[in-house]
Amino acid sequence: MSDGLQDRTVDRRRHVSEYFRLERWEIPPAPGVDAPSELGGRAPVDAHQRGPGGGLRTGGLLTSVDSLGGFLCGLAVQPEWIVTTSMMATISQLKHRGPLRLHGRVLRRGRNSVVAGLDVVDEGNGDLPVAAATVACAVLDPGAMVLEFERPFTTPMVPLNPDAPAPEVFFCIEPGVGPVTRLELAGHLRNPWGILHGGAAAVLADVAACRAVQAEPARANGGVTGARVARAPERIREPTRKVAASDTVLHYLRPARVGPVEARCQVLGSRAGRAVVRVAIHDVGAEDRLVTLASVVVLDV
Amino acid sequence: MTFGGFPPARQLLGDLGMVAEVASDSEARVRTRVTPHITAADGGVRAGVLATLVDIVGGAVAARVLQPDWMATADLTLQVVRPAVGPWVEARGTVLRRGRTTLVIEALVFEVTEDGSDLGGAHEGPTPVAWATMTFAVLKTKNPASSIQMASDFPIRWAFNGDGFDTSITDAVAMSVVDAAGGRVSLPVGEYVFNSFGAVQGGVIALLAEVAAAEALGAARGSGISMVVTDLQVSYLALGRVGPIVTRATVLDAGGEGSGSAVVELLDEGAGGRLTTVVNVGATPVGVPAAAVS
Repeated sequence: MSDGLQDRTVDRRRHVSEYFRLERWEIPPAPGVDAPSELGGRAPVDAHQRGPGGGLRTGGLLTSVDSLGGFLCGLAVQPEWIVTTSMMATISQLKHRGPLRLHGRVLRRGRNSVVAGLDVVDEGNGDLPVAAATVACAVLDPGAMVLEFERPFTTPMVPLNPDAPAPEVFFCIEPGVGPVTRLELAGHLRNPWGILHGGAAAVLADVAACRAVQAEPARANGGVTGARVARAPERIREPTRKVAASDTVLHYLRPARVGPVEARCQVLGSRAGRAVVRVAIHDVGAEDRLVTLASVVVLDV
Repeated sequence: MTFGGFPPARQLLGDLGMVAEVASDSEARVRTRVTPHITAADGGVRAGVLATLVDIVGGAVAARVLQPDWMATADLTLQVVRPAVGPWVEARGTVLRRGRTTLVIEALVFEVTEDGSDLGGAHEGPTPVAWATMTFAVLKTKNPASSIQMASDFPIRWAFNGDGFDTSITDAVAMSVVDAAGGRVSLPVGEYVFNSFGAVQGGVIALLAEVAAAEALGAARGSGISMVVTDLQVSYLALGRVGPIVTRATVLDAGGEGSGSAVVELLDEGAGGRLTTVVNVGATPVGVPAAAVS
């Protein structure tokens, strides 16, 4: 990190979602109805957060999905709290006018887990569907974490910071060697549990998968490539191929606490401008253990 | 191998002729022959059939890892990399993480020969045709003594035996399209499609969602375009026991620029319309000139 972000005193409950300026509001059930609250959200599509697809880059969209879905699940299990275990998103639009509006509802509340379904539409484009996602969370004892909220819960959209850095800078992401992309685990990227924020892992998976596909030899449209892991220990050359991350699945297997964090990519194959990338995210400082596994569909745009 | 009478004498897994091998405490393989009865419009094995394959391989690994406990599939994702044309397809599952309440498994699917040997040249390793992940919820046994006893020597091999299909798999399970545009498809419930819980097995649920999404997306595009499902993200919320299981689909994008996407909800109509499953689906058109699919 070179911009001093890691030195800020941050509110870990909000810092990452505030980067994407996510506004959230609780939608309580009707009086007398025994059901968990729903949650609404709105995120602008700021110029510095747009990706090659023309809209909010998918990692950013997934950060808002994680923030909203995780909080929704947490509200459903209070006084206990949650940690996200998986997130699955189908992206139907990469180009957004913005702002994006999110809506989440609890699909299932069990003893050990909660599942939420979320829809994302482009409010600035006639509520065009942008994504559908499912967030699964494990129920945890919150321990000493302070979980006091005014209900119904709301957080306003924070003002645009004209000096806000690009996502790669904010999330401390830098190219590694070969098909590896690294993230420095700075303080502002940790969630309230002190571990890497799920949204940060999503942004890392997005950036890493796109870099891996850009490093693939150019193929004629409709061509097929097989699984390959770049073996040459060299930096990926300057990308010339425009690609964007689309459908993404993340399994949060273990917490990333130490860092640095490395995303190691394997392009499993591609055809007709669509590549499937396996992204294994490791906590290098914690005996290199696998912390997150992601599948990312990368599209030529 | 049977688990407390499962599978019954005539069952989908038997007609798929699945052959299974558990190689160690954390690895298993399951394969099936590719026939026209299980393929989609692009000639590759249907995503729902691949989901069935990976669900079985995941279950084989999970049963081994978790014994004496049992498990239920909580979510399953599948990405088809390219059409799987066979002659056989084999799913190879491994454990990613075992936790107190969940088990996460990854499976790669390869084209193989009948004896499970890899296809491809001597200088290149096998390349996957699909990739899947699954989360299983751990179901604690109340009485370990009554749990299924498993063999201790590896490899453990078994086969699901049946007559094979004389019709498409969707007809074999008696799936019917009620309303293509709305993605409304109905599946009667019975022993033929049950899992060891006496509920519709996860792979069949995925197949139902695949058909519903392909119908809805195809109708939304029009012009006789067939949509082939390439991505499935399945969240299993409740068991489908009573039936019929009915679907409704919401098209997110009909695929004006190539691929399309939809969300399919599955409801157990006989259980008060209870929502059992939500599936996010991605699909690509076939029968369209390559230049139009960019």
